[in-house]
Amino acid sequence: RAAVAAAVAGAAGAGWLYLRRDKERRLRARRLRDLRALALGQGDFQLHDTSGTPRRKADFLGRWVLLYFGFTHCPDVCPEELEKLSRAVELLERDPALPPLQPLFVTVDPERDDAAALARYLRDFHPRLVGLTGTPEQVRAAAAAFRVYVSAGPPDADGDYVVDHSVLTFLVGPDGLFRDYYGRSRTAEEVAESVRRHMETYEPLPP
Amino acid sequence: AARMAAPTMEERKACWGARDEFWQCLDSHADDAAKCEKLRRAFELRCPQQWVKHFDKRRDFLKYKRKLETEGYIPPEAAGKS
Repeated sequence: RAAVAAAVAGAAGAGWLYLRRDKERRLRARRLRDLRALALGQGDFQLHDTSGTPRRKADFLGRWVLLYFGFTHCPDVCPEELEKLSRAVELLERDPALPPLQPLFVTVDPERDDAAALARYLRDFHPRLVGLTGTPEQVRAAAAAFRVYVSAGPPDADGDYVVDHSVLTFLVGPDGLFRDYYGRSRTAEEVAESVRRHMETYEPLPP
Repeated sequence: AARMAAPTMEERKACWGARDEFWQCLDSHADDAAKCEKLRRAFELRCPQQWVKHFDKRRDFLKYKRKLETEGYIPPEAAGKS
């Protein structure tokens, strides 16, 4: 009788585990559908990097991307967020089991941030950080695709100005789908942990 | 007018350092700016004007936030309501 009781308990336990895993699968599938419907970061962007090479969003398919919008004349937020982004990428690089993560910076100040300005600025951060700029129209389209708020302030007597903008780091999967975002309050360790979880549970978007 | 290049990492750190010294002075003099004139001038010299404005606003915000955390939020019309 004890054996029968144990078998029933075992079957119940296995059944419960199956249901729970199935529920998690369904939740993940629903989240994927929601993300696709949100369509954040969809649409191609046409920018160029600091060597002048044209770069489109499609060029980054197949890779995980951690993307931040900012500008080089930024007083404090952008350097801090880029330090954080660089550190998160470094932390994940230590694990050879994880796929590579591409750090990306897109300027919200194309009038001043040309390829040369970006190259100078990004030197101080992660060596693989790619900087993108373009014409005002191209940059506006890229920011709009990610619903990033951008508003240049009034210039002062020297023509200097700051650009108010949403401070967010976006995680984009190898299928090009936006997967998560990180604000000011997340630490580099928290970002790395979240990206790791996304990588480990990754399911490409069904067609 | 010639476009100014963005501050380098060294210039940013020098600016932030000057700002922090100025703010430390304000902290130890109950925000009496008159007591910190020299550091204020050093701060303004080290940082682009736009950044000085930005950091002044940031300081005001941080003070307000600290006030909320220590004194709590007092709605403007709290007094006199029965």
